[in-house]
Amino acid sequence: MLTLPNRRIRIAAAITLAAAIAILIALVFWAILAAATEGSVGSRVDIPHLLRMTSIQAGLTTILSLLVGAALAWAMNRLRFPGRDLVVGLFASAIVTPGMVVAFGLLSIWGRNGWINRASEALFGFPLGNPAFGLSGILLAHVVLDGAFAARIMLARLDAIPSARLKTGQSLGLSPWQRFTLLDWPALRGTVPGLAAIIFLLAFTSFPIVLMLGGGPANQTLEVAIYAAVLQDFDLVGAVYLAATQITVCSLVILAASALAPIPTSFGASVAPRWRDAGLARALQIVVLGLGLIGFVLPLLSVLLDGFSSGMDRIIARPEFWWAAASSLLIGSASALLTLALALTLALGRGATGSGPLRTLLGMPAFAYLAVPAVVLSLGFFLLVRQVGLAPSAAAPFVVVIANSLLALPFAMATLGPPLEAIARTRGKLIRSLGLSGWRQFISVEYPLLGRDVGVMLALAFCFSLGDLGVIALFGTQDFQTLPLMMFRALGSYRGNDAAAIAAILLLGTIVAFLALPKLFERLAHAAR
Amino acid sequence: MVKSALALAVLTGLFASPALAQDLPKLTIYTYDGFAAEWGPGPGLKAGFEATCGCEVSWVAADSSIGTLRRVQLEGDATEADIIVGLDTAIAGEARATGLFADHGLTLTDLALPGEWTDTQFVPFDYAHFAMMYDTDTMTTPPTSFEELIALPEDIKITIQDPRSSTPGFGLVLWIKAAYGDRAKDIWAGLKPHILTVTRDWSESYDLFLSGEADMTLSYTTSPSYHIIEDGDDTIKAALFTEGHYPQIEVAGVLKSSDQQELAKQFLAYLVSADGQQIIPHTNWMFPVTDLGDKLDPAFAALPQPEKTLGFSDDEIAAHGREWIDEMLAAIQ
Repeated sequence: MLTLPNRRIRIAAAITLAAAIAILIALVFWAILAAATEGSVGSRVDIPHLLRMTSIQAGLTTILSLLVGAALAWAMNRLRFPGRDLVVGLFASAIVTPGMVVAFGLLSIWGRNGWINRASEALFGFPLGNPAFGLSGILLAHVVLDGAFAARIMLARLDAIPSARLKTGQSLGLSPWQRFTLLDWPALRGTVPGLAAIIFLLAFTSFPIVLMLGGGPANQTLEVAIYAAVLQDFDLVGAVYLAATQITVCSLVILAASALAPIPTSFGASVAPRWRDAGLARALQIVVLGLGLIGFVLPLLSVLLDGFSSGMDRIIARPEFWWAAASSLLIGSASALLTLALALTLALGRGATGSGPLRTLLGMPAFAYLAVPAVVLSLGFFLLVRQVGLAPSAAAPFVVVIANSLLALPFAMATLGPPLEAIARTRGKLIRSLGLSGWRQFISVEYPLLGRDVGVMLALAFCFSLGDLGVIALFGTQDFQTLPLMMFRALGSYRGNDAAAIAAILLLGTIVAFLALPKLFERLAHAAR
Repeated sequence: MVKSALALAVLTGLFASPALAQDLPKLTIYTYDGFAAEWGPGPGLKAGFEATCGCEVSWVAADSSIGTLRRVQLEGDATEADIIVGLDTAIAGEARATGLFADHGLTLTDLALPGEWTDTQFVPFDYAHFAMMYDTDTMTTPPTSFEELIALPEDIKITIQDPRSSTPGFGLVLWIKAAYGDRAKDIWAGLKPHILTVTRDWSESYDLFLSGEADMTLSYTTSPSYHIIEDGDDTIKAALFTEGHYPQIEVAGVLKSSDQQELAKQFLAYLVSADGQQIIPHTNWMFPVTDLGDKLDPAFAALPQPEKTLGFSDDEIAAHGREWIDEMLAAIQ
């Protein structure tokens, strides 16, 4: 029997916010339908085929990413080595780096002309082949992006297993397998539904990567059809219809993820005692880590090398670069803070209720945004801004901040949700018996325990908003440029070297954010105690 | 929340367009973002035109050229745009059908374009033919037709763009249709084993080619000049095909709803003048539409040009474009 403190304000705030997000999405669709003139529903789209292909691809991506993520988190939790923090930072940075950058990083390792094939040619006289295109290519890229993110989130949960539990486990002489099933798995389980939903949605809606690495129209997502309906055919009704199809399919996944029963996780200090697994398990951990480093770190390393070897001086000599960097920093910080506010509101409300349906309702809107095609959002926001009577170019920065916060919200929920639930469930009785107010509960209990997770979440949201600008595609942005926008503009004008340099800087910024912010907030939270 | 409100306030301050107190008339031009970028033609054209017009030019960049047209369609008469720069001949028919564009009123007789220019609404400002690029370091004898390309070993790979999201991608569909008519389907089926991938944008295909993942990619006959001028690299070349090439001609048009009709037409006249045209090659990497004589960089002037130019009328593209895209998608599925 759960004893949760009675927190009506938290629940009411969360319900209001969830409703607001749902209304915003409904408004986007309404604005598009209101602007649509006569339109024929696109006949050229074989929806069942696309849905089948995309579901297979997204399903495989999800399963592989979770498996790889769990294995990596397990290995990283056990092993201590110099540069571990850097590797952890790198893992998380993959998912927020613009997808195309990671895809090209992958190709420079695995591609026909990549390091592996060239090494093989030098050593054995023949190339090993090219796994980087087709379904295998899509899966490879997605697992690098999403598996590393899963590993980061799962590692945080493993590192948070209370040391008392570990000591007990150690004194009982648990085997590595028992240790995993009895101690690790219960801590990991809470993250699986949220992570699975995020990864599935990302893979389902991944547009440029699927198109580029897919090898042709056989491997496509609904998004390309929606993009064509909006921009090429200007068939807005058809676009809304296709978008609704996509959202329906995605909602089934979201529903399943949000509805899964809350799982009490343990929660404690993040200082793990030294308890190494012995023998075979340890060897396996080293192998997993080695493979992980090759698979995840090499592509990113190649992005850095590529960027710093070409055109870096030319880029940093440009005043436009510094303006773009300043805009990116501001946009990133504003989005991160807004995301924190949104995620805390939803997650605190969700943690405060024991009602299953209500928890599902509060969980869904956070993900729903991810299921809406970017081009539809872009169009809808553009029309909404006009309806309100604002000049699109003046509204662009605000729309980017809001859109990016909503985009980062599911990731923030995946980061903050499980620990908050764990606190509510393990400390609930205590909080009740002490008669703490909601505010005191947050300041004295939740915030100090959450510090590091808040840092991780801020880093995620900050970097996410560096990476996405699709939402203002129609807005007209002559004076407003961020680093990713500058990068894509450079790419589109032959300036691959400039783009590579900007990509390297973005990646570097991302890694620094992931190294610094969690540490900073852990310290702040401890100071607050 | 206080902090984020503060941050938003700072943002407003930073991004609010500076209020210009001058009373100069303002010319608002929608274009695609590469055109308005600092290394694109936008800044040079703005400076050049402002020097004589007594006006202020303001570029508004959407992420794609078709995006500018859709935005104007959504805005209707309330649009701020006076001009759209950067549509091309493949969507000109559809743009004309919206009824949003006014006649340009210019006499465009001595243009250096492949073929006569008779359009009364759209003014051409640069062009190039679509072509398959190759690298002389890795390909010594490039194919001289699609049929020769098809006959090459299957490990010769090409990258192309999705015709539904990319202008050159659609250009290739038109090119093959214009060259082969009813046989287009077979040509696509023959190309299928060579197609490494079909990307969303030109930049991804081109990058795959430059990084050595593909042997050839669909781009423009003018692409080599970028590498010659900016990188001093003359190994990137366009393969000329005997069946002829399809051109992309970029155009600009004045919107009927503009209250700056005269000024807008002056801008179009400047755009095709020698002064305006001189800015285009080095910034947009396309041929100028007027003969610049020795003022055209040899890196452009010396580029081999196709002997035969293929073409479709606006009406043909409007009537069959979608059907041809479907045919292509079905053939390489």
